Amino acid sequence: MTDLPEAEETVEVEHPEGWITYEVFHQKKRGTQHTHVGIVHAPNAEMAIVFAKESFARRGATTNLWVVKSEDVTALDYDDSDIFDTTPEKAYREAGFYKTRDKIEQLKENEGHE
Amino acid sequence: MYGGGYTGEPEKKQEQAQDDPALLAEFEAKIARGEKIEPRDWMPVDYRKQLIRMIEQHAHSEIIGALPEGTFITRAPGFKRKMALMAKVQDEIGHGQMLYSAAETLGKTREQMFNDLLSGKSKYSNVFNYPAVTWADVTTIGFLIDAAAIVNQVINSKGSYGPYCRALERICYEEAFHLKQGHDAFVSLASGTPYQRQLAQDSLNRWWEPIMHFFGPSDKMSVHSERLMRWKVKLASNDDMRQQFLNTYVPKVWELGLTLPDPNLKKNAETKQWEFTEPNWDTFFKVINGDGPCNKERLAVRKWAEEKGRWVRQALINPKEKYTLPYA
Amino acid sequence: MSNPEQYTAIKELLYKMADDELIIGHRNSEWTGIGPVLEEDIAFGSMAQDKVGHACNFYKLLHEMGEADPDTIAFQRDEKDFKCCHLVELPIGEFNFSLVRHFLFDHAEYLRFEMLSNSSFEPLANLAKKYKGEIKYHIFHANTWIKQLMNGSEESKARIQSSFNELLPVSFSIFEPGPYEDILIAENIFGGEKALESRWFETISAIANDNGIKLMDVSDKTAGYGGRKGFHTEYLKPMLLEMTEVLRSDPAAEW
Repeated sequence: MTDLPEAEETVEVEHPEGWITYEVFHQKKRGTQHTHVGIVHAPNAEMAIVFAKESFARRGATTNLWVVKSEDVTALDYDDSDIFDTTPEKAYREAGFYKTRDKIEQLKENEGHE
Repeated sequence: MYGGGYTGEPEKKQEQAQDDPALLAEFEAKIARGEKIEPRDWMPVDYRKQLIRMIEQHAHSEIIGALPEGTFITRAPGFKRKMALMAKVQDEIGHGQMLYSAAETLGKTREQMFNDLLSGKSKYSNVFNYPAVTWADVTTIGFLIDAAAIVNQVINSKGSYGPYCRALERICYEEAFHLKQGHDAFVSLASGTPYQRQLAQDSLNRWWEPIMHFFGPSDKMSVHSERLMRWKVKLASNDDMRQQFLNTYVPKVWELGLTLPDPNLKKNAETKQWEFTEPNWDTFFKVINGDGPCNKERLAVRKWAEEKGRWVRQALINPKEKYTLPYA
Repeated sequence: MSNPEQYTAIKELLYKMADDELIIGHRNSEWTGIGPVLEEDIAFGSMAQDKVGHACNFYKLLHEMGEADPDTIAFQRDEKDFKCCHLVELPIGEFNFSLVRHFLFDHAEYLRFEMLSNSSFEPLANLAKKYKGEIKYHIFHANTWIKQLMNGSEESKARIQSSFNELLPVSFSIFEPGPYEDILIAENIFGGEKALESRWFETISAIANDNGIKLMDVSDKTAGYGGRKGFHTEYLKPMLLEMTEVLRSDPAAEW
């Protein structure tokens, strides 16, 4: 580069309206989930995929990528995360809630007595 | 260390007044519980400001940091070193990309950040204002400066801001490779021909002062600092990080039979603290404010890239699309 | 494959392929840190690494066939012993120049590898198959950029067209026939430069046409020839000097 600008020269980066961000989702191998890994700046989805491949799939295994416009993501407000407060308590939705072994043992004991 | 510490400006009372006390209390409780703050959460004005500054300057450090080593990609001796260096320097641009994205979630656009870099308003790690003169310098940077960066990054990855932590996790993973290849290349020199050994020693002699400057001057615990600690923006003092670095890496230099140009450098057997000659902080401030060996050149290269690349970015403008804040 | 004539033919092919990849990889890596967009900086640098990696593996294959080790071949040959074409030696210029060169070269690379994946010389066929996916991305990248810029601003269209005008003539230097074309073709090792050139031209013409790029008539396709015989542009020597600078500082050393 022989034509470097002088240090005192002001060079301004213009805000390129129309460059948006895309959220990138990465899938390691078939059968696994796509996980969110970050964003790329791109003018459209095709360029976003081109960029995402090198920004987020430079290492390890990758089988697939999704890009979604940041604008298209609908997210819950963190202020509303209280709607999940009681969920962990709903043990009746978990396998571990059902203690069947005790009943079986009791039944066997009773049968033994007859 | 990514630009001389945090804004040491006297607290502006009116900014404080803008923070709703109830929200502030809830915010601080969240952090105390170890929860992360996410982009659209309420946050104190100063929290946002300090984080933007910190993450932005970290991002600038990555892309400027790519330049001294980048000049040696074309000169790397052999395939192994060439490919490792290409991958490493490319990673650094990638880190910059991730960090700009994290800062962006706080409301400052990438373009604004670039402008502040080019105008000199935003800083980057001082250590990159020095030139890589020999191949040994490339190895010293890959070894000791990446080591210092890792100390800092591992600590910061426990911070409170979600996007920054996530970026740092990825960065720390990649930095492990940087350190390994840097150390490997450095050890090759130290265990090589007398010429190579001399190159390595000479490199250490020249780079030791900038390395000692890396973590910034000793920071007394001010009210300001204390609040940043409570907010998990600042997680360790500059002194603590410097001690950690010295403790791990000085022995690794000494085990190669090489010296560091500080006769007072030693670990105090009783206090377990490393003692050293206090670096010249006047030099540090002089360099970070623009008067270092490579400041002008570094920014000139970025300006060149910006000017030469402008037509590309302009050509791709899609006027139908409107920018929104990313999630990162 | 024990026929010495065939071996010589294969080595000649490998040398020119490897040298092309090394030199263009080296050139493209000069964009690191100064790309027009951060994400593109990363992508261009990554593809440059891929190319250097290809070169290294071709040199490894040459080494298995009795040539020196890769570092020696790549970093210690004289300029006249390099077999790269003129196209890859040219300095990086502005982004449109490098991008169009990437487009032109990488399409040739993709098609060459496609042809080689059926090679009767198994090690070469295996390498060609192994890299197929990687090069697919390279041409996807090139095609996407060309399309974007030809649908961009007046300036981007003008720049791309101008780079095509400048680079098309010298890109024929890729296809300079070697002395062993007949053997390569007869033994099914490789279908030959002529066949490759014709497939390449068909491919790039179609893409150029789709994107409104005019491909000028090139009357003398041999103007850029010479590289395959060791006659290079003025740019190769300084580049090799730079590439070998550190190594030459202490030839006895291991780095």
